[in-house]
Amino acid sequence: MAGLVIDAERCIGCKRCERACATVGIEVVDRLARPTEGCVLCGACVDACPVGAISLVRDGAAQSDLGAYHDIWVFAQVDRDGYLMPVARELTAKAHELAAARGCEVVALVAEGEFADDAAAHELIACGADRVLRAHDERFALVDPELLASWVCALARARRPEIVLFGATPLGRELAPRVAAELKTGLTADCTALSIDSETGLLHQTRPAFGGNLMATIMCPVHRPQMATVRPGVFAAPELDSSRTGAIEEAPLDADVQPRVRTLAFERATSSSSIAQAKRLVVVGRGIGSKKNLPLMERLAELLGAQIGCTRPLVEAGWLDYAHQVGQTGVAVAPELLVSIGVSGAIQHLAGISGAGTVIAVNEDAQAPIFGAAQYRVVGDAVEVAEELVAALEARGSAGTPPSASSAC
Amino acid sequence: MHIVVCVKAVPASTEVKMDPVTNTIVRDGGASVVNPFDATALEVALSLAEERRRAGEQCRVSVLSMGIPATEALLRDCLARGADGALLLSDRAFAGADTLATTYALSCGIAHLAKQWGEPDLVLCGKMAVDGDTAQIGPELAATLGATCATDVREVLTCGAGAVAVRAAVDGGTAALELPLPAVLTLAREAAQLRMPSIAGVRAAAEMPVEVLGAAAVGADTARTGLAGSPTQVVRSFVPESQHESVAVDGTPAEQALRLVEIIEGVA
Amino acid sequence: MARDNAQALIHTFDAEFEDYARDESRSRGWAESISFPTDEDEVRAVLRALAAEGVPVTVQGARTGLAAGAVPAGGHIMNLSRMNRYLGLRKDGEGRFYLRVQPGVVLLDLRKHLSARDIPASGWDVASRAALDAFAQAPVQMFPTDPTEASACLGGMAACNASGARSYRYGAMRGHVSGLRLVLADGDVLALRRGEARACGRALTLTTEGGRTIAVELPSYRMPACKNASGYYVADVMDAIDLIIGSDGTLGVITELELELMPAPAVTWGVSCFLTEERQALDATCALRERLSCASAIEYFDHAALEILRAQRASGAAFASLVEPPEGAGCCLFVELECASEDEAMAELSLVGEVLAAVGGSERDTWVARTDTDREALTFFRHAVPESVNMLIDERRRTDSAITKLGSDMAVPNERLHEVVALYRATLAEAGLEAAAWGHIGDNHLHVNVLPRDAADYAAGKELFARWAREVAAMGGAVSAEHGVGKLKRDFLKTMYGEGALCEMARVKRAFDPAGMFGRGNLFDESLLEGGA
Repeated sequence: MAGLVIDAERCIGCKRCERACATVGIEVVDRLARPTEGCVLCGACVDACPVGAISLVRDGAAQSDLGAYHDIWVFAQVDRDGYLMPVARELTAKAHELAAARGCEVVALVAEGEFADDAAAHELIACGADRVLRAHDERFALVDPELLASWVCALARARRPEIVLFGATPLGRELAPRVAAELKTGLTADCTALSIDSETGLLHQTRPAFGGNLMATIMCPVHRPQMATVRPGVFAAPELDSSRTGAIEEAPLDADVQPRVRTLAFERATSSSSIAQAKRLVVVGRGIGSKKNLPLMERLAELLGAQIGCTRPLVEAGWLDYAHQVGQTGVAVAPELLVSIGVSGAIQHLAGISGAGTVIAVNEDAQAPIFGAAQYRVVGDAVEVAEELVAALEARGSAGTPPSASSAC
Repeated sequence: MHIVVCVKAVPASTEVKMDPVTNTIVRDGGASVVNPFDATALEVALSLAEERRRAGEQCRVSVLSMGIPATEALLRDCLARGADGALLLSDRAFAGADTLATTYALSCGIAHLAKQWGEPDLVLCGKMAVDGDTAQIGPELAATLGATCATDVREVLTCGAGAVAVRAAVDGGTAALELPLPAVLTLAREAAQLRMPSIAGVRAAAEMPVEVLGAAAVGADTARTGLAGSPTQVVRSFVPESQHESVAVDGTPAEQALRLVEIIEGVA
Repeated sequence: MARDNAQALIHTFDAEFEDYARDESRSRGWAESISFPTDEDEVRAVLRALAAEGVPVTVQGARTGLAAGAVPAGGHIMNLSRMNRYLGLRKDGEGRFYLRVQPGVVLLDLRKHLSARDIPASGWDVASRAALDAFAQAPVQMFPTDPTEASACLGGMAACNASGARSYRYGAMRGHVSGLRLVLADGDVLALRRGEARACGRALTLTTEGGRTIAVELPSYRMPACKNASGYYVADVMDAIDLIIGSDGTLGVITELELELMPAPAVTWGVSCFLTEERQALDATCALRERLSCASAIEYFDHAALEILRAQRASGAAFASLVEPPEGAGCCLFVELECASEDEAMAELSLVGEVLAAVGGSERDTWVARTDTDREALTFFRHAVPESVNMLIDERRRTDSAITKLGSDMAVPNERLHEVVALYRATLAEAGLEAAAWGHIGDNHLHVNVLPRDAADYAAGKELFARWAREVAAMGGAVSAEHGVGKLKRDFLKTMYGEGALCEMARVKRAFDPAGMFGRGNLFDESLLEGGA
């Protein structure tokens, strides 16, 4: 019988499962846990149980021909101008590493317009691909996830890859699920770590959930291919090895496939946008001392590829426009990275930054409330630390800049 | 025109805490809400329906969800805001579904709705759910239904005459796309803000039925639903280290700065 | 020894502290020194040192007041924002909880801890910890006083007897404080617990912890029969604690408050009703007051307020996420329902619908907020009104720095609602002034804000307010219903109660603070304090 199974012998009625459940899906009655109608079989209680009394039992059918699947595929995306995207290089290198553990080949798939040359294919080989499957086709001149899905699915059905990786770009996030649904297999989105389990040979896929508050490691044991998407910048960019060799194979798109979606217009993303959408923010407060230090903070923001925000007193003092004000009465922000400089952290301000990912706070006062909202606290003079940080970033060159605008979408 | 909006019940708070004594996850098994992105999808559907009705066309907005029985209250709230009908797929056989099994169940629900109200011209979903963050259901549904698809839609430009035009995020910017119907759209938050219900809406919704059906009633093959129909399995889940500790960065300003650069690069 | 301690706590007032010279009223004062005590002993030490030098003291909390009560008038600023600890909890025989806090605890923080049922308890005694265990098991508790600015601190709220939208149901802060400690100018302490010290008629005798007797002849005036925060609270056989609350920092420094908590309602729904005419809103208010049994707030936003909001929404990033008022909406009435069950809320909601129909409105032109997201959207909407008016005024200040917002804070008894609104409208039209009105219409308490375009408008507005103060006083109303008198509304207080009453109030102050150390310029002119005890 599939579902949540509780071992009555082991259960001690400690109720930890109740507290771990987000859906009131388990309750303890007479010191024994039992699932309720709220249970969605998410498995949170399985991990929470200190005595291993809870298990998820599956009776799903396995594919019968798992052994027929081999190799790791990477969908290598090219950008609008025909260049290989950084994430394609990152994934190919990662696949190379996984293939070594698995003992198989890396195959990169690249679909380009009809006039494309061999540059992308050679680059993929230099990154670690053993084979490149490519199509040069006028139908690929415009990005069309539906056409690409049809191409990838046809190839996968014919050649049976064991693993397929996609960049979690806007295209990849539409393409990968389409392919997974058509091949009726599993897909894990936005992985931050991938590894091959040494015992089973399965792909372990680790990803954040609940807005990054929870990490989950996922596998796809009895369906093939195992599929995952990975955000740009998660894996390191490889050193290109131009001495590597590999096969380049033409893999044309079925002649009957025609595009259905029309692109009417394209507008390139501009870098300046409101602080509400910013992925990175430098927020400054009264602790930066005087308006003359503002250019330093702006330089810091520039080096970080960040927008600049500020506290209410700075707006009131006329140092920055209202559009920069972060807080309850200003703009609520949710950047991935927030560097807070000289901000004491009034309640109104903290309310506005509660959505931020990583918060680094710099303040002279070790007791400043901002530190309560920060993951990293730097007790020190705001201007001094900012000056050193600018110097360090300048010395590093572009290493501190975020992923390119396209992948930040 | 028939518009189906897929909504998911998610925990009101996506905060996850770690019990420091037992080192296990503690979640507030409290209130659930309609996934905020799905709320946007509902608003887009309601506005489109109003527009089509003003143009003299009949239009129906059906809300569809797969979830526990308590999800009915959330669907009733969707009715109060103007949806014309609601279908809740609720069955032990649906529990434990990953995106593939969820997509299958929803497609069965859509087929059921289609029998009563005609094949949907548009299926709208939120861009992602705040608890799962996968953003997979929309494109998987499109593939399953054989529909066209646009994801991360920022704005619906026009709709009618067998096609819908949208502005959606694509690599490097945004694009205006024209999709022949039927189409699946996944909506970004900025596309719309869900309206509040009126007193009239709240009172009317109290009298309206929410259809609750199990797997058999919508003709779903239980080998393809729930845990049994899910290719992926969670091996383990854990709270990432960094979020429950505040790390002091000490040293001289220069040393602090170097350490910060490392931290910042770690975030990217 | 104590003296040295005190000197270490007292900082020279330099540019670093400039923010502390002003508050949310946007007026600015001056000071020579400032301190940030963290407990009662430090307060006493600083006060003793200052008393020895004859330095006057202005007490501050979060500086969110709108009557300039926290703006210094020379001397010393005692800022209590670092006295922000939770001190203890007790539960009485009837299951009510009482929370002891330092005055610098911020309302937002208090609310957060109450709703999480988790109060920082470091240093608590055994009894308090036991009460905290009971608290964690009990239904979620709340503190009902809800001034619009939730970053206010509780000491400041007590000092001005704050209220807010929900005071329609729960009254102002005064009724929810069960005990307090007040440090006097000489460092002595008055510990008051509700029910333990009452006036005999209008004679009040108190004994300090140091053994000193304070005998006060309370003023003879009668307070208006409406929401009121104008001058000292006085009544026959009154509780001494009620005199301290609302005393605008003129009697001493509140160093501890005991707050009476109450169970949070099971169901809270907010309903915004859009109507075409102001008249309909007034009629609906009267009908709602009569028919609803669960309303906790009835608020109003006039046409000009909605228009300003619309304009800010269209222009600013901060307000872009505001829900847009429906087209053609002339004004908005907001009703908050706090009910024991959804069924009860549904029944009340139907009554709101009936009332709207009766005044010619429609239950279709309403927003019902039943989810957190919707409630937050409505709260944001309500709070965006004063915020966007401030932004409009800030814009105008750039061309003429003499301009500031002129906001009224007057209330009248129920039966005078239509009359007072007619007065506002007629006189504003007559003077040709731009204005926006909003606020607590359930308590007949509207904030009418004159929006001066130039210095002449500003002067005309001030004149108009003086006239309103006279007329409102004549209607049996209050010149300040919630913001307190502070430094900005002293003249109105004179209009309301007369010169004689001010002298009586000054007498009360002298009994507590013979040297006139505290809150100079608050409530009455300093000249009234001369002449000794």
